[in-house]
Amino acid sequence: MDTLNILLMGFISVVLINNLVFTKFLGICPYLGVSGRIDMAFGMGMAVTFVVTLSGTLTWMIDHWVLMKLGLEVTRYVCFILVIAGAVQLVEMYMRKFFPSLYDSFGIFLPLITTNCAILGLCLFLTLWGIESLLDAAVRSFGAGIGFTMAICIMAGIRENLNLADVPACLQGAPITLITAGLLSLAFMGFAGMIR
Amino acid sequence: MSKIKQFVQQSWLLIVASFFFGLLIAVTDAGLSPRIEQNKVNKRNRLVGALLPEARNFVALDTEIQIESAGGKTEKVEVFKAQSESGQCVGWSFNASGSGFADKIELVVAVDAKFEKIAGFAVLSSNETPGFGDQIKGDYYRSQYKGAPAGELKLVSIGDPKQIDSKIVAITGATVSSEAVVEIVSYFVTQIKEQMQKKGIIGNVQQQAS
Amino acid sequence: MSNSRQAKPALYSQTLLAGLWRENPTLRLLLGMCPTLAVTAAVKPALTMGCCVIFVLLCSNIIVSLMRDLLKPHVRILMFTLTIATFVTIADLILKAFQPEMSETLGPYVPLIIVNCIIICRAEACASKNGLVISIIDAVGMGVGFTLTLCVLASIRELLATGAVFEIQVLPLARDGGWFVQWAAMGMPVGAFITLGLMLGLVNIVTGKKT
Repeated sequence: MDTLNILLMGFISVVLINNLVFTKFLGICPYLGVSGRIDMAFGMGMAVTFVVTLSGTLTWMIDHWVLMKLGLEVTRYVCFILVIAGAVQLVEMYMRKFFPSLYDSFGIFLPLITTNCAILGLCLFLTLWGIESLLDAAVRSFGAGIGFTMAICIMAGIRENLNLADVPACLQGAPITLITAGLLSLAFMGFAGMIR
Repeated sequence: MSKIKQFVQQSWLLIVASFFFGLLIAVTDAGLSPRIEQNKVNKRNRLVGALLPEARNFVALDTEIQIESAGGKTEKVEVFKAQSESGQCVGWSFNASGSGFADKIELVVAVDAKFEKIAGFAVLSSNETPGFGDQIKGDYYRSQYKGAPAGELKLVSIGDPKQIDSKIVAITGATVSSEAVVEIVSYFVTQIKEQMQKKGIIGNVQQQAS
Repeated sequence: MSNSRQAKPALYSQTLLAGLWRENPTLRLLLGMCPTLAVTAAVKPALTMGCCVIFVLLCSNIIVSLMRDLLKPHVRILMFTLTIATFVTIADLILKAFQPEMSETLGPYVPLIIVNCIIICRAEACASKNGLVISIIDAVGMGVGFTLTLCVLASIRELLATGAVFEIQVLPLARDGGWFVQWAAMGMPVGAFITLGLMLGLVNIVTGKKT
């Protein structure tokens, strides 16, 4: 029961309180580019969730069971990024072969995800937070993906409405999106202090 | 054989580059890691030195001190003995951490030689709200710990911050952060004191002057 | 970058200036947003991050330009990534050794330079197609442009959040008897997003964008 408690707290902490987009500034580039429509946003979010859960768990395993045992922490960054790139390639090949319809809907997002700061950022935060158990790492990675999906869907919903509003010409596109993101991050600050 | 040849033909650059880059990283790491280690030691010395001005060097304790963390697990705490130039013990210091308003708060706490009064604390890392919870790094809050009894501390919302006792006045607008630090310091100080008394490192009544 | 028969000096200066304004990575090309928002709470971290990016860009552009004839299509991106990751590791070690407090403030954002779109994009668009000198100039131009953007953003945020710039107090704080009440929001994610958004809007006005 205690383990479940810790896992749940960890999950909520990553989704709401330490949301990757609004508090840690990760994943902004695809966030700005893809959040135009809700269906695209949701697709991107799901792809990111899938990849980030896989990479987070894999990199945690490699970090704890290989790098730290052998004292090779200095190669951490190189290993992480290679694992992530490899994982994305594998996921892409696997999906193209076995789930072609799914692959078509994820489409162009998958190669983009490798340079998504959110993935590498989460793997690094897992080491920073000193996560000790594999299950905790997996749950937090999944939570990060869900948090990202939530952020991007909220933004997509707002942007769809913004299209109908009278935004000044100089602010259209990226600027108004950033300002909206700022207001959203202010709203999410309300969650801080939820977990003691 | 031709498959291997094809493989090598496609990726020889990758393999060579990996070797070269690996070498580069290894050399840089070997060259810089003593300096990096020294930086870590310097930082602790600087922070604790500000709290215990007579300390000249810090010696880690041989015996392991284990306390029960908030989650119920036992964790090892590194306690350092601060020694003056003549080798006399002038105090103790250790790292303490716990959850604050936003993220984890990491402190380094120093106590006097008899483990009776807190010499003070410094914030190693925290992510508290700038302007509010961030003020745990400020003098108003930290000065209240200098000389406070090494035991359970209590947070109060109004009081005299200049009066040194076990009551700590909270920072206006940052109750959660203030409470977090009070809890972290109280918890670690009481637990470590108990463990060290059990191991005979500090006496209950007399004091060992070494 | 165009390979037309321009005189060498003109091409060099054009490449250099492009990175500074016309193709400023953050303001025009909208690359590298994540560190821009994360480290610009104060000028010192912003400057440090800018210098790291210049270092990594320079080294990576040089190596990629030297290797450009040897790159097979399959391994391109992998090679770029490997190169960049190596130099970021080295930059991180140097930072930890010589500027430990900055290393802690910047935290995980230094290794995040690996996935900073600026560096991979420049390697792809410029260094893999051009000679050594042009790649170096391009790296310097883009790097300096990025650093300048970071510093401008950071000065605005630090000034409004603490009344100081580069830790030198400029506006007297109300707390210490002056008139300036700090805008704490500027130090938080809100301030970052809104300031960058307004800056981009300003750039759009200056360049006369009409949509």
